[in-house]
Amino acid sequence: MDNLVKRTISISPVTRIEGHAKISIQLDENGQVSDALFHVNEFRGFEKFCEGRMYTEMPIITPRICGICPVSHSIASVKACEMIQGIQPAYTGNLIRRLIHIGQNISSHALSFFHLSSPDFLLGYDCDPAKRNILGLAEQYPEIALRGIRLRKFGQEISERITGKKVHSGGIAPGGMAFPLTEEARKALIKWIPEAIETVQLGLNILKKFHDENFKFVQTFAASPTLYLGTVGPDGEAELYDGKLRFMDADGTILHDQADPKTYLDLIAERSVDWSYLKYPYYKPYGFEKGFYRVGPLARLNVASKMKTPLAQREFEDFKALGNGKPVHGTFYYHYARLIEALSSVEEAEWLLNNPEITSGNIQTHGQWNFPEGIGCSEAPRGTLFHHYITDETGKLLKVNLLIATGQNNPAMNRSITDVARQYVDGNNMKESMLNRVESAIRCYDPCLSCSTHAMGSMPMAIELKNADGMIIKVLERI
Amino acid sequence: MNKLTIYIDDKQFQAEPGKSILEVCREHDIEILTMCHLKGVNDVGACRLCLVEIEGMSKLLSACTTKITANMVIHTKTERIKKYQRITTELFFAERNHVCAVCVANGTCELQDLGYKVGMDHIRYPFLFPKCEVDTSHPWYVMDQNRCIMCTRCVRVCNEVEGAHNWDVKNRGYQVRIISDFDTPWGESITCTSCGKCLQACPTGALWPKAIVQGQMKKNPEIIDELMERRKMIL
Repeated sequence: MDNLVKRTISISPVTRIEGHAKISIQLDENGQVSDALFHVNEFRGFEKFCEGRMYTEMPIITPRICGICPVSHSIASVKACEMIQGIQPAYTGNLIRRLIHIGQNISSHALSFFHLSSPDFLLGYDCDPAKRNILGLAEQYPEIALRGIRLRKFGQEISERITGKKVHSGGIAPGGMAFPLTEEARKALIKWIPEAIETVQLGLNILKKFHDENFKFVQTFAASPTLYLGTVGPDGEAELYDGKLRFMDADGTILHDQADPKTYLDLIAERSVDWSYLKYPYYKPYGFEKGFYRVGPLARLNVASKMKTPLAQREFEDFKALGNGKPVHGTFYYHYARLIEALSSVEEAEWLLNNPEITSGNIQTHGQWNFPEGIGCSEAPRGTLFHHYITDETGKLLKVNLLIATGQNNPAMNRSITDVARQYVDGNNMKESMLNRVESAIRCYDPCLSCSTHAMGSMPMAIELKNADGMIIKVLERI
Repeated sequence: MNKLTIYIDDKQFQAEPGKSILEVCREHDIEILTMCHLKGVNDVGACRLCLVEIEGMSKLLSACTTKITANMVIHTKTERIKKYQRITTELFFAERNHVCAVCVANGTCELQDLGYKVGMDHIRYPFLFPKCEVDTSHPWYVMDQNRCIMCTRCVRVCNEVEGAHNWDVKNRGYQVRIISDFDTPWGESITCTSCGKCLQACPTGALWPKAIVQGQMKKNPEIIDELMERRKMIL
């Protein structure tokens, strides 16, 4: 092996993420990392097969893209439909939509932290991979695992109490909601709030302890600077449901503020690459080479000036202190940002459930096709999501563009795995835990590559060393 | 008029001459699966779900189009019938593009109910995945050929109840399609009165109003028979 010119390490499949992917790590002649690539080897085709459908079907078709963030797709979709119809949603319908969206955010963040990521913090990167998952967590820390599962349940129960279904619920309609929130459901949901706040705070304590004990690792873990995109309210507050776009550069300078999501094509362009089905979006004014940006919890908190709710605001101030007035670039802080958002979401859910209007019957306005183009945007758990539809004069879709959060993080994920691989991977001395750190960089982004594939560390992982001709020289297998 | 004695599933019944086997079964709460039958319009025996076994006949006959005769011995729940019902149901699903998860009629669809009733847990036949037209040209309604099972309930209700005869059928075999007027876009039809009866008659999500989303579909096919009964009272 000493006379090899180049070798490649392949991590396939990447585990404990949503979907299927693999990582290739290219080694140079000295066994050091020269490059790393994140391949997404699934093809879905939604943009194409939705052509020819009626635009009003999109709030039901597009949530099937994902079993974790279906509500965000419905919300972006109904907003695009409302633009086509030229209507505004009914007041209460809009409140209920916001509540369901928050529920999904709580559920998704609970899944990401407690089910998928916390085994790394609590059981350790060097723990047996067969046990480094939610089941292993339940064995050693049953109380934490149960609380995580219940937090996820709370998020899903919001949807179930309103629409009758936990996932892929119907009823999110152009103009508002098809179903109201009953007083009985409101009372049942509000009982969850104290427990949900406690659980998120428990998660924050676990994470902060890990931060304290692994300060250098956390600070330097895939910390390359990038641009950031997120949605903010009128006063710069972090916002998930409505709001305008804010782009920030790596030094914290605001490049665009209060940009209407309808202008997204002026800000973002996409390019295809030959090693992945995921496109490479970039910030248009800076071009492909310099314009890669991040979305999701870390980006949203970096661009935001404040949080809307008091407990989350306190944590937000601690988070901001990490960057010393600049954006926080460390990819590991995605987890921290995610939990702060979860806290904010639970607090906002309490506000909404205490709003006397939430159970009123003013749930839907009605419209019809008026304009040939609709653009909708929402903040999915993994970042900013855009739906863009062009129709003919009967409402039939001619063109669909879906710009999904994980896609926008794709260039940054590639950068992060390269950073981490260079830091931790030594091709001359490979250990399973070393490769898990590379995977872990991807897991920070909580990427959702398809609809709710839960691997939870049980899938086999093959690490292949290949020479420049593609011949496998050595294989390490995780069973 | 003297009633006829017939036997259904080993029980004796008295029924009026001229009635179909299906009518008699429905009167006595004997379940017969149907898709193309719609009370209020003429039966055509298109779907082949209501097949029954009649002693002395080798062929299965459709209950909706077969009149009772004296001393007829009918079986509605034999293994042979169940086998054909399952085959027929699977062929419905395999022939066009039925995706319940994203269909506007999800939860209110007779085809979906049928799948549950016959215990369809998989489909043994290759899907044809035909390229089907979605006609959105009507200002209020959509016709989606992907979800059509060719029951022709819309054709019959439009002709026999509304008297417009906008809907008809073209081609044969797996290329058969429902057409509007002489195969023109629905929105350009000069015969359609936009009454919406075809939407009520449709058992699936093939015909639906543009204004609704999944969860808001309310089908009331019984309205067709009610309308016909009220007309009899007026006349």
